[in-house]
Amino acid sequence: MIDFTWKIGGEAGFGIMTTGLVFSKIASRLGYHIFDYIKYPSLIRGGHNSFETRVSDQVVRQLKYNVDLLICLNKETFDQNKKFLLVDSIVVYDSSDFVPEKGSYKTLDIPFKKILEEQKGQVVMKNTIALGATLAILGGEIDELEHIIEEQFGRKGEEVINFNKQFVRKGYDYVKKNYFQLIKPLLTKKTSETKLVLTGNDAFSLGSVVADCRFYCAYPMTPSSSVLTTLASWQKKNNMIVRHGEDEISVINTALGSSFAGVRSAVGTSGGGFALMVEAVSLAGVTETPIVIFLSQRPGPATGMPTWTEQSDLLFTVHAGHGEFPKIVLAPGDVEEMIELTAKAFNLADVYQLPVVVMSDMFLSEGHKSVSKKFVDDFIANYKVNRGKLLKEITNDKLQMTNQVQNSNVKSKNFLRYKITEDGISERLIPGIPGYYFQANSYEHLEDGHTTEEAKPRIDQVDKRNKKWQTYLEKDFSLPKVYGDLEKAETVLVSWGSVKGSIIEAQKTLENTAFIHFNHVYPLDKDKIRKLFSAKKRYILLENNSWGQMGKLLAMETGVEIEEKILKYDGRPIWTEEIIRKLT
Amino acid sequence: MSTIQDFSGYNPTWCPGCGDWGIGIAIKQAFVQLGFDPSGVAVVFGIGCSGNMNDFLNAYAIHSLHGRAIPNAIGIKLANHNLPVVAIVGDGDCYGEGGNHLIHACRGNHDITVIVHDNGVYGLTTGQVAPTASKGFKSKSTPSGIIEIPINPLSLAITSGATFVAQAFAGDANGTIALIKEGVNHKGFSLINILQPCVTFNKINTYQYYLQKTYKLPADFEKDNFKLAVEKSLEINEEKFPLGVIYQIKRPTFTDQLPQLEKETLVNKERFVDFDSLIKDFI
Repeated sequence: MIDFTWKIGGEAGFGIMTTGLVFSKIASRLGYHIFDYIKYPSLIRGGHNSFETRVSDQVVRQLKYNVDLLICLNKETFDQNKKFLLVDSIVVYDSSDFVPEKGSYKTLDIPFKKILEEQKGQVVMKNTIALGATLAILGGEIDELEHIIEEQFGRKGEEVINFNKQFVRKGYDYVKKNYFQLIKPLLTKKTSETKLVLTGNDAFSLGSVVADCRFYCAYPMTPSSSVLTTLASWQKKNNMIVRHGEDEISVINTALGSSFAGVRSAVGTSGGGFALMVEAVSLAGVTETPIVIFLSQRPGPATGMPTWTEQSDLLFTVHAGHGEFPKIVLAPGDVEEMIELTAKAFNLADVYQLPVVVMSDMFLSEGHKSVSKKFVDDFIANYKVNRGKLLKEITNDKLQMTNQVQNSNVKSKNFLRYKITEDGISERLIPGIPGYYFQANSYEHLEDGHTTEEAKPRIDQVDKRNKKWQTYLEKDFSLPKVYGDLEKAETVLVSWGSVKGSIIEAQKTLENTAFIHFNHVYPLDKDKIRKLFSAKKRYILLENNSWGQMGKLLAMETGVEIEEKILKYDGRPIWTEEIIRKLT
Repeated sequence: MSTIQDFSGYNPTWCPGCGDWGIGIAIKQAFVQLGFDPSGVAVVFGIGCSGNMNDFLNAYAIHSLHGRAIPNAIGIKLANHNLPVVAIVGDGDCYGEGGNHLIHACRGNHDITVIVHDNGVYGLTTGQVAPTASKGFKSKSTPSGIIEIPINPLSLAITSGATFVAQAFAGDANGTIALIKEGVNHKGFSLINILQPCVTFNKINTYQYYLQKTYKLPADFEKDNFKLAVEKSLEINEEKFPLGVIYQIKRPTFTDQLPQLEKETLVNKERFVDFDSLIKDFI
């Protein structure tokens, strides 16, 4: 079985992230599964960046503790990572820069600086040399790397392509010539189905396009920003409109305007930006305007640790908004679920006419995972846009929908936008349809949208809105997925969102465990969920926060209380090894 | 052909003598004269006495949050750029709570018309100062007089990139109707600041006050002259209020510059299905 970790580190601002992604893509194209994650400070230059890819011939969902091939573009990379090295690990360095202290690992000295000087290359091209050397060490061929260089620099012409390619060759040849004994056949080309290399943010972007989202509005905020930039880069192809608004308040209110006008709309942000949006979440609730909110969490409070990971906005999110109104919160566990639940979120927002929040975090948003292209193609082929009770025209039989109490001389009819119904959902009309009008009212309102302060219509409208939750729980709520045998398991791990990967990886080592993973996190179906927790077993809650927020939500919504907890809130994801260590 | 009656919803609940009555009638009259009917125009109301027009005016409408009518209006325009979009807001609403949105809507030249009820006070919360109140104005929230100088909505809009900036007086029905029509017909961001007495809470900026302090710009006023427009707008600081179109230029609107909207509105375009063209970048 092939399962190794490649890691590259260097000064921030010199192409570490791009290089990491190129390596992940090469490994994927050569037929392997990858999982990668980056670590970087919240600055552009002067800090330290590292990028780590785990490569395997099996599906991988999380990084592993040890590093097998460490590419040090500076000394700091070595200092930070020496604790992860094993006897067979290889450290690549440039002795004109620094020499790693002696230890039980192998070293490989490549004259990056000298090659750059000889070939008159720029500093970033160290990465290209490193990639060439990497492929030599791992017994791979350089064809795929050369293809990627052709794709990257294609527009700049043959000369630029060849200039870059020579650095690949230099790194590759240097290893082949001088370190033949260290070469291991870990990355030889193997036949396998086509895979995509996707981050959670890529998956949200793709899911939103599949769902026919036509308007995305955002203000940049780590770790959600790459959704804004990815969708912005696609606009010319898919004709979506992507607006970078002046602030998050404008962002969500613009999206509510476009949604009111009949366009599937979404916004994206992190915790601080979502805090600014909250008043408008309540507006979406009372006006029953569909909206999808992508919320990628990072450690708070306030500015917190912008480029690190945490799951500390769950309780804030489920309770966001003044007053009482229904909303739905989904928390995908990995990139596949992100595609599925993003596309589902748009249908739910339209069907139930309410805000739907899709929660991510830095770990899921910016780490790449291999995804079967067939899985994505099949999902797209089977996905159906469901806009619920949205009317694009009114046929004669709908005339009873309009308020009859009006002057017969008046030509336009007041559409009953908030008509009381069995399932709590009223028909919605795209503004501009001739012969009708209605208002989406932030005040409490009558069925026809006019403001009211009377007791009965107030109660009727509150009850109508609340009923949407009941309808959702009956028709569209999904119970948490169980991994492992819940009957036989002695220990049951409970978590939500992006912790999924680490736990499933840990289950490969741990015996007799089951794992209950929530991705439809709010609202929760009390009766169905309680049944999952009926047996007398050891339950352990795992969350990337300090309060155990999913545990609190479970207790509040279902009465299920989990005493034993593994909580982590240092900005890093819960590692697989940490789970195994705690349970053995 | 629509009539005033087509646009008339509930009977207004404004105080007798309030300038909102004049503005409310002027808006309906302008819509009738523009040939609109209630299903052919989108209106976004802010929160305040002005926003309460939501129940008195029939149209496809959002009664929004305080300060947020402009982004809602921009969203509607992006979704359906063929639909005329009007935001009806107050001075606290648009120049205070939502001030940032105003600046950026001007920059973007979004093709919406913003009609501001400028009475210098927060009427609906019983008379606290608005950002347009004169320095020293005493109110419940500023018993010793407001320390800040007033915002100048006209110069703010002109220098932020608005392509149509006008001022009207609620006591001048015909002038107000004409300016609303011009503003709605203007392709680009239009701001119409309507001076309006609050008979209940503002005993200074009364009808008498405005009759004395306002004057109409001459018919040959050079409205595409940026420097002159700024100069005119600054007269407010000396309590002189020009009425009419102070500034108007042509500049492509936000939606004019979106190639996505060349063929169709966003709401009516065909669904995009060439997913392979996006997916290939991830291989």
